[in-house]
Amino acid sequence: MSLLELRGVCKTYVDAQGGQALLADGLDLLVPGGRIVAILGPSGSGKSTLLKMVAGLEPPDAGAIYFAGQDLAAVPPERRGFALMFQDFALFPHLDVVDNVAFGLVEQGLRRAVARERALQMLAVFGLHSHARQKVWRLSGGEQQRVALARALITQPRLLLLDEPFSALDAELRTRLRDEFSQRIAAAAITTVLVTHDEAEARAMAQQGFRLLQGRLLPLW
Amino acid sequence: MMFVRTLCFLAGALLAFASHANELRVLAHSSFSLPKPLIAQFEAQSGVKLSVIKAGDAGEMLNKLILTRAQPIADVVYGIDNSLIAKALAANVLDPYAGPAMQRPALVPLAPGVVAVDYGYVALNYDRAWFAKSGLALPKNLQELALPAYRNLVVVQNPATSSPGFAFLLSTIAGLGEEAAFDWWARMRTNGVKVTKGWTEAYYTEFTRNGGARPIVVSYASSPAAEVFYSKEKITESPTANLFLPGSVFRQVEGVALVKGGQQREAAGRFIEFLRSAPVQEGLQTTMWMFAAEPGTTRPEVMRHAAEPSAFYNPPADSIASKGPDWVNRWTSVVLK
Amino acid sequence: MLRRFSVGNAPGHFGPARAWWWGVLPLGFLLLMVVAPLARLAVEALPDLQWAGISAMWQDDYLRWRVWWTVLQATLTCVAALALGLPLAWVLARFEFPGRVLALRLLMLPFVVPTLVAAIGVLALWGPRGMLSAWWGLDLQGTPWLLLYGNLFFNLCLVVRAGVEALEQVSAARVAAARSLGATPWRAFWRVQWPAILPWLVSATCLVFLYCFSGFGLALILGGQRYATVEVEIYTLVAHELRLAPAGALALGMALLTGAVAVLYAFVERRLATPGRADGVARRRPTGAWQWCAVVAGLASLFLLCGAPLLAIVVRAATAGEQVWAVLLDDETLPAVWNTLRFSALAVLLATLLGVAHAFAARRSVWLRAAAFLPFVVSPVTVAFGLLLLYPRWSASLPLLIGAYALLAYPFVANALGAALDHQPAHLAQVARTLGATPRRVFWRVTVPLVLPALRRGMAFAAATALGEFAVTLFLSRPEWATLTTLIYQRLGRPGGANRDAALVLAALLMLLALLAFVLIEQAPRRARVLAPVRGATNVPA
Repeated sequence: MSLLELRGVCKTYVDAQGGQALLADGLDLLVPGGRIVAILGPSGSGKSTLLKMVAGLEPPDAGAIYFAGQDLAAVPPERRGFALMFQDFALFPHLDVVDNVAFGLVEQGLRRAVARERALQMLAVFGLHSHARQKVWRLSGGEQQRVALARALITQPRLLLLDEPFSALDAELRTRLRDEFSQRIAAAAITTVLVTHDEAEARAMAQQGFRLLQGRLLPLW
Repeated sequence: MMFVRTLCFLAGALLAFASHANELRVLAHSSFSLPKPLIAQFEAQSGVKLSVIKAGDAGEMLNKLILTRAQPIADVVYGIDNSLIAKALAANVLDPYAGPAMQRPALVPLAPGVVAVDYGYVALNYDRAWFAKSGLALPKNLQELALPAYRNLVVVQNPATSSPGFAFLLSTIAGLGEEAAFDWWARMRTNGVKVTKGWTEAYYTEFTRNGGARPIVVSYASSPAAEVFYSKEKITESPTANLFLPGSVFRQVEGVALVKGGQQREAAGRFIEFLRSAPVQEGLQTTMWMFAAEPGTTRPEVMRHAAEPSAFYNPPADSIASKGPDWVNRWTSVVLK
Repeated sequence: MLRRFSVGNAPGHFGPARAWWWGVLPLGFLLLMVVAPLARLAVEALPDLQWAGISAMWQDDYLRWRVWWTVLQATLTCVAALALGLPLAWVLARFEFPGRVLALRLLMLPFVVPTLVAAIGVLALWGPRGMLSAWWGLDLQGTPWLLLYGNLFFNLCLVVRAGVEALEQVSAARVAAARSLGATPWRAFWRVQWPAILPWLVSATCLVFLYCFSGFGLALILGGQRYATVEVEIYTLVAHELRLAPAGALALGMALLTGAVAVLYAFVERRLATPGRADGVARRRPTGAWQWCAVVAGLASLFLLCGAPLLAIVVRAATAGEQVWAVLLDDETLPAVWNTLRFSALAVLLATLLGVAHAFAARRSVWLRAAAFLPFVVSPVTVAFGLLLLYPRWSASLPLLIGAYALLAYPFVANALGAALDHQPAHLAQVARTLGATPRRVFWRVTVPLVLPALRRGMAFAAATALGEFAVTLFLSRPEWATLTTLIYQRLGRPGGANRDAALVLAALLMLLALLAFVLIEQAPRRARVLAPVRGATNVPA
């Protein structure tokens, strides 16, 4: 049974030169539960917009997105329970590491102190406990992305959306992090959609892969 | 929350402006100043609160009065002088006053229905120390002032923006005759006369006494006395002195009048009487640095440094009203353009 | 029934979706305080309108020369301010050294000091008997240099503060990336940092340009009437001659000119504004002789340009001997201090409200952005007289006074906040949404803490303007409202050494109060705490 389903989605987006480009044209996608699915495409082809549509941050021009059989059209991003990760880590600079991780828990209604406790435990699992009180910009790129993953996973999302998560890191780090992320995601058994331009990375992480071509997804493996 | 507190604060501030039912609104220029005890005394005796509104210099003040004549912003106005009175009367913003103060003669008259309160003289002042050090002789008349020997030594105010500046221009016109006066101004321009916006700029940034480069400034005949009064140490001689040259002295008479359409007529009348009363006439000499209009007022000791000139040069009031703006325009094109 | 969600199409959409209602407060305020009075004045002027006279006025060579001169000196000041301000901003933004924060605060003092007192200070240094003139044998009186100095004295701080904030926002990752790709430090600056800081610099330069048009400059006092701007002309026509029609025509012409600048700025800024990254370049201690030299040179030039005249004032005030105490204990001084404090506080509050509302309303509208400059585009004297005509009963009332203060102060808040909002990294709000925060919670938990430093900077400038009371002297005032500034002008309205010293002492007191205000407003918390979450928040369906 597929958990995430895109049916006939159409979308144009504004590309880097400022013109209108086609992202999706009657695009269909079925993502089974517990799987990691990769979508490949060159940089600048609007793959991020695809993830934003799934997250609810942008509306599709046409078509529908379903999750667990429910049409997401009327569901705002904060209700969907999806977690989004970016290549620039997007950690809140005004909060320290532990408050960053605890952010989502506070939004879920937990008291600050309890949320912090849980966040510290999560950081310990990631081996980042010693950085808990530091400002996020003091961490290295790899550490920041791991904090971002901790922040995402702690909220127990129904779906994890990764937007070129390792593009800002150097090659060696990329490989290490790729393995770590795959492990953790598998351990948590979270359905994941990974968007990237790096085919090797996609093949290493994902059980299923597609290529975004002329508004449709071409299955690769 | 911060915003709620903010709103309460603002509301409080708004309400803080309650206007008193029993207040007398006095419009005055920015130099108006009376000793506080006297004002308190007046309020106690007359039972009204005195609400002074300062409206810039005398010319600005009159214009604001004219502009708001449909809904007057004051009940009584102080500070209209003899260079503005014709304009005020023509604009029909004043009501004549006929009380006791009007019946008594003043040392200097202003106009029927307008009570004269004080008078003074706009004249050149010079820096004694500078002249002593430079050895330069003082000029004996305006023509000498335009000679190269006195190049770059004079600062005047722009008659368009300053009442002493305007007064000085009027005195040159009355003293030299209109054509000769503008000819003189043209020569002063080549002789490096500096023009400032107002008295304060001229006196405190251009006058050599205060760190500037010009030892001759257009000021008031009472300024040397003020210099003694406000000096840091006790001095017996003023550091500045008056330079009374023919055609450079203007007598300024200030008065108080009822505003047409104003309220509180009785209190306004009392206020006018109050201004001509002995304590006020004595006090204003050292707060506003003008001479008292009420005959028989004792002159304070310090005023001996402020000699009264033997002659002054005022054009007729009607020509000031009718030709004043043209003269100013002509002056601007002769001196500034 | 689940609530419909609303997103913006532009990246980085924050805050409530319907931005237009933010605009009601500031636009209403501008309408009441600027547009309506001007319209009323225009109505009053209509009967005297003579087209022939007005066209003759614009043909006048002298007037044209004045307009051209005004534009020229404003442009030169902008260029000089940028040329000097940017290196100074660099030093203050990139290096960490003792006294850095103090320098940033002191930098704003020129705004607070009344122009007349500043003139006295400048002359104490550069005048014919000035200290520095004597040392260096210069006499700058009457030269264009003194005028430029006068303009820079006030305006440099605008550029430097904006530059510092801009440089702090430059993404370190992008700079590092450029360097790693082989760019020299200079090239990295040109290709990465310069484009990033441009929006801030453009907005500061626009403010500087508009300020130079007003009639309240130090340059005017130092240079005399020959260098007067057109505003002086308008002032004369309105206040002294009551010739409203030509004054209105002149004011309108100048407003169109300066309004065009404001609109141009708004377009340019919108183009340039790109959401940034959250990783600013960190400051580091200077290493090596060259860097220390740069810091010292920077501080020295700041001191020379902005600080020295103020120091001259303070020194003169301190050496006034017993005058100091006489003035401070005078029964007029304490009420004046109280008035200064309470008027400024009220004005800053009002200006902050208006500025915040305006900044959020103007995120997507170029015209609203330009409208934030309206208080500087219109001639102050025409607004003052218009207000008098329109609300004669309220003309000598406190709300109008505070409104006038706030009018001149709130563009700073709107500007500073606008630049920061533009720069907001887009992804932060998006991540926050997916983590479960509604748009309102994103606003309070993410947007506000991130723009708070910029808001504080804007508020500090607003406070400086309120304390310095530019142009408020045009409005009617009451003796019981005398502030420190009014008192200073009162003292300087009479001759006498004691009066001059008293004015200097009061000016020093004003500067001290201002410094305290800046510290209070801009004091950064020791640890950046996030706003406490709203109690009892749960995901309740609407």
